[in-house]
Amino acid sequence: MGTKRVGVFVCHCGLNIAGMVKVKEVIDKANKQPGVVFAVDHKYLCAEPGQTLIKDSIRQHQLDAIVVAACSPAMHEATFKNIAQLSGLNRYNCEVANIREQSSWVHDDSDKATSKAQIAVRQGIEKVKLNEPLQPITVPVTRRVLVIGGGIAGIRAALDVANGGYQVYLVEKSGSIGGRMAQLSETFPTLDCSICILGPLMVEVYRHPNIKLLRLSRVEEVKGYIGNFKVRVRQEPPYVEEAKCNACGECAKVCPAQVPNEFDFGLTWRKAIYTPFAQAVPPAYVLDSTNCLGLLPQACGECKKACDQFGTGCMNLDAWPQVHELEVGAIIVATGYELYDATKLTEYGYGIFSDVMTSLEFERMLSASGPTSGEIRRPSDGETPREIVFIQCAGQREPETALPYCSKICCMYTARHAMMFHHKVPEGQAYVFYMDIRAGGKGYEEFVKRCQEERGLLYLRGRVAKVYEENGKLVVKGVDTLSGKRVQINADLVVLAVGMIPSSETHELASKLKASLDANGFFSEAHPKLRPLESPTAGIFMAGAGQAPKDIPDTVAQASGAASKALDLLSSPTLEREPTVAQVVGELCSGCGICIPSCPYEALSLNAETKLAEVSEALCEGCGTCIASCPSSALSLRNLTDEQMLAMIEAIVAS
Amino acid sequence: MIQLETNFEPKIVGFLCRWCSYAGADLAGTSRIKYPPNVNTIRVNCSGRVDPTLVLKALALGADGVLIAGCHPGDCHYTNGNVKALRRFRLLQKMLDQFGIERERVRLEWVSASEGERYARVVRGMTEDVRSLGPLNWKARVEAVA
Amino acid sequence: MQETQPYLYFPGCSLRTVAKDFDASAKACARALGFELKEMQGWLCCGAVLSNVDDNLMTKAGPNRILARARQEGNTLVTLCAGCYNVLKRTDLHARHVSPSQQAINAFNEEPFNGGVDVLHFLEILRDRVGFDAVEKAVKVPLKGLRVGAYYGCLLLRPFGEMKFDDPNRPSILENLLVRLGCTPIDYPARTDCCGSYLSVSSTENIQPLSGAIVRSARSCGAKLLAVSCPLCKYNLESSQLQGINDSPPDEFVPVVYFTQLLGLALGIDPQQLELDPRQMQAIRETSVSTVKG
Repeated sequence: MGTKRVGVFVCHCGLNIAGMVKVKEVIDKANKQPGVVFAVDHKYLCAEPGQTLIKDSIRQHQLDAIVVAACSPAMHEATFKNIAQLSGLNRYNCEVANIREQSSWVHDDSDKATSKAQIAVRQGIEKVKLNEPLQPITVPVTRRVLVIGGGIAGIRAALDVANGGYQVYLVEKSGSIGGRMAQLSETFPTLDCSICILGPLMVEVYRHPNIKLLRLSRVEEVKGYIGNFKVRVRQEPPYVEEAKCNACGECAKVCPAQVPNEFDFGLTWRKAIYTPFAQAVPPAYVLDSTNCLGLLPQACGECKKACDQFGTGCMNLDAWPQVHELEVGAIIVATGYELYDATKLTEYGYGIFSDVMTSLEFERMLSASGPTSGEIRRPSDGETPREIVFIQCAGQREPETALPYCSKICCMYTARHAMMFHHKVPEGQAYVFYMDIRAGGKGYEEFVKRCQEERGLLYLRGRVAKVYEENGKLVVKGVDTLSGKRVQINADLVVLAVGMIPSSETHELASKLKASLDANGFFSEAHPKLRPLESPTAGIFMAGAGQAPKDIPDTVAQASGAASKALDLLSSPTLEREPTVAQVVGELCSGCGICIPSCPYEALSLNAETKLAEVSEALCEGCGTCIASCPSSALSLRNLTDEQMLAMIEAIVAS
Repeated sequence: MIQLETNFEPKIVGFLCRWCSYAGADLAGTSRIKYPPNVNTIRVNCSGRVDPTLVLKALALGADGVLIAGCHPGDCHYTNGNVKALRRFRLLQKMLDQFGIERERVRLEWVSASEGERYARVVRGMTEDVRSLGPLNWKARVEAVA
Repeated sequence: MQETQPYLYFPGCSLRTVAKDFDASAKACARALGFELKEMQGWLCCGAVLSNVDDNLMTKAGPNRILARARQEGNTLVTLCAGCYNVLKRTDLHARHVSPSQQAINAFNEEPFNGGVDVLHFLEILRDRVGFDAVEKAVKVPLKGLRVGAYYGCLLLRPFGEMKFDDPNRPSILENLLVRLGCTPIDYPARTDCCGSYLSVSSTENIQPLSGAIVRSARSCGAKLLAVSCPLCKYNLESSQLQGINDSPPDEFVPVVYFTQLLGLALGIDPQQLELDPRQMQAIRETSVSTVKG
């Protein structure tokens, strides 16, 4: 290979590095390393002048390889590799030494931070000297997208990708798309009727030639990698032929099995054969086999009889789950949220006192299609409540006992709820217990002010210590910190603004996708500011409340953004994959096969003829687990060989 | 055989997996959390890459301790490389016992990408523990009895 | 339940003086259930209040000394008074972590303490070691129909992150025990409200809004008796009913007993051994349809 001429570039990063690390000393030390023919520092290597400096230096000093000592490789490794490539070098002849996040920012002793930086640079030099000039592996891109979740985020993303000309699979676990937005009565701050603005989008999805809607479906397994995902989706049967069903409802009339209706959070009942809600898409009924009296053997069958006699004869009780093997290039995750379990908030008595409700339950009650046709009633006796208490921040912003974060939308919807209550019950009085009012969106502050001023809502800045029942009323004991007085309200109804948590099956799905979750169980973004729409796992994008609590405008914007990322991925028929994969050194391999089961991707196999191990470069993800398992050192990880690891270890301990 | 070295600075080699623990260490950086500079890191793709031979080599070449950091079980970007690392680590510990090397010198920790504070705590704890154990002096201890 | 198993026991000051009945009844119950409360050596006052301010070290010095001495005899310490339980449990938790304040306390005390004593409440012994099933089996005189309100107060339950004794808003351990004794526990909203603690002694105008409100809440929900685990709570709840009235109490007086006294009665122990007074016995006899001697 010959000795490489190595150039070292040390970034000041303004004062972020230079304020603690003595850059000149790093340069001096670098110059003393064998192989280094040039070393220079610069204020901002990632900026245009810095990049030009690198390019020019490579040319002027005929450098074969460069080490850039700067921020974490997670930040700008790609940037510097690109510059190396543009300057005529193979991009693997560029290494980044982390002297900011893991040196200048975490140590307060300048000498120690400097020597640590010197070591990091030395590690980079030793590694880059041994790097092979690899070429990326080109793989074809499957130009189809999978969207998981049929709420507003999934709907928007699917439409954008489909309108962009590519096929989309939209997988939804329930019997209809629409998600949470379909459950809302109005949306803030415009007070649009939620289903009215959502409905047309749902229909558009259903009719779109590029969208294949798979309802009652869940992702079972995900294999492959960016551009080449193989996803197994399991679809439960509806026992109803979608195309033929005209939603006449004759089946439901005769069904004997009644269960709490999830759409109304158990405030109403539905039959085992049902339509999720009036505007459901697809507009076909679904048989819920778990709650049906029995299909194997058939215990009832009245629904089918009614359908055959009075309906379109579209039922088939002899149906089985279907397994779809989908091949897609990109996956957009839009799995949304549910509410934190309010029974855990024992101070409020949810689940014990029937007149304590969650915000979503109240939302259903407000809805014209809800349990009370839009009238506000107490669940206990059906009477109209006069005094209603809204408690914001229920189980949130409480790191010790509940959720530590803020769910962003509760101040807004509580204002809307309180206002709608006053509108429907003009002689009533609403009280809102709050800690802060967070109304940061466009028109939000004005909306809250309007609610407070126009309708005589009483906003009390303080928390509620306890809610209990006495003489048919709910005694709410709280405090008003602005007046400094304790407050007791004998309310008819209490509504809790409970926090948003990721949907129940998020954790399982994340494992299948190998997409990371954050500390609160939401999908992690690769970088909160620079890459908010993509998972660190390549090829997976995200939108909506599954990534973090957010309102509808932000959800829709994020969904379109995620779609655009997916379209970007699909815009070319091929994709380049990292070539830093495992390779077998034939002469050393004894064919023992120990490495085979160590690979989670089944990228290793024993060649039928040679009986030696071989690696499928397309499947190999480059984790290196097999390397450590080989007793003969016959496996090697390109550009992170044992030799390179040893060289880096020596660079560390030699000092 | 406790050596009282008042100015002893332990030299610890850290193998950090790029998806979780390296990102966690970076987060400690962006959060400006301070910790001692005794752990020099090598970024690997997965904690499963860490061959126990490399750990022993590091100690033999002069390291006083080795830290291997990976994703929490269940979160491994490559499914279960961290679990394999754990299995190897257990066997490695037995080997260290046979060499007469204190187990506290080689540590396997799970640090997620959101655990900047935890990474700092691990580094602080390990640095102090290895400091109180004193320099390893592999030559004196292992090669002398060989 | 046949073996006699001694538990290291911290009585606390009150149980030696104004609350001797609590101590006596607990010991009698323990004997009947087959275990022993063995008083620890060299115990002293726990201080009854643990400051939440981290650098108020004097409040922690005494409890640390108690636990250091207990540690020499074992690693479990049982107590009855809610105040002592709160102080000792939290002191042990604090001592488990290395902190400048703990180091200062250890430097000050003759015997340093670094945590490791499991502080348990008598109820936890009953529930986890003896088992409520075994307790129920040992009941000889079920207190059928006795409408008793269990009163928890603050210190058994809060701060929840450290006490982890029961649900801080809807606790049930006392009711679970009382049900096994045949009682009918009454649920009332003020079960976990503060009785006023020392405030009721120093600022008597606070008695009615605090302890008085608790008694009224229990009474209005139908409780004929209140069962507590703290001598100060007992004092406050009783004195709120006697405030401003001469010696003969009104008909609606709700007596306050220690839960161990009810347990003892149910186990068939002589009421005199449990040190129950005539007023308390009368209330029990009037409401309970059982054949309680005394």
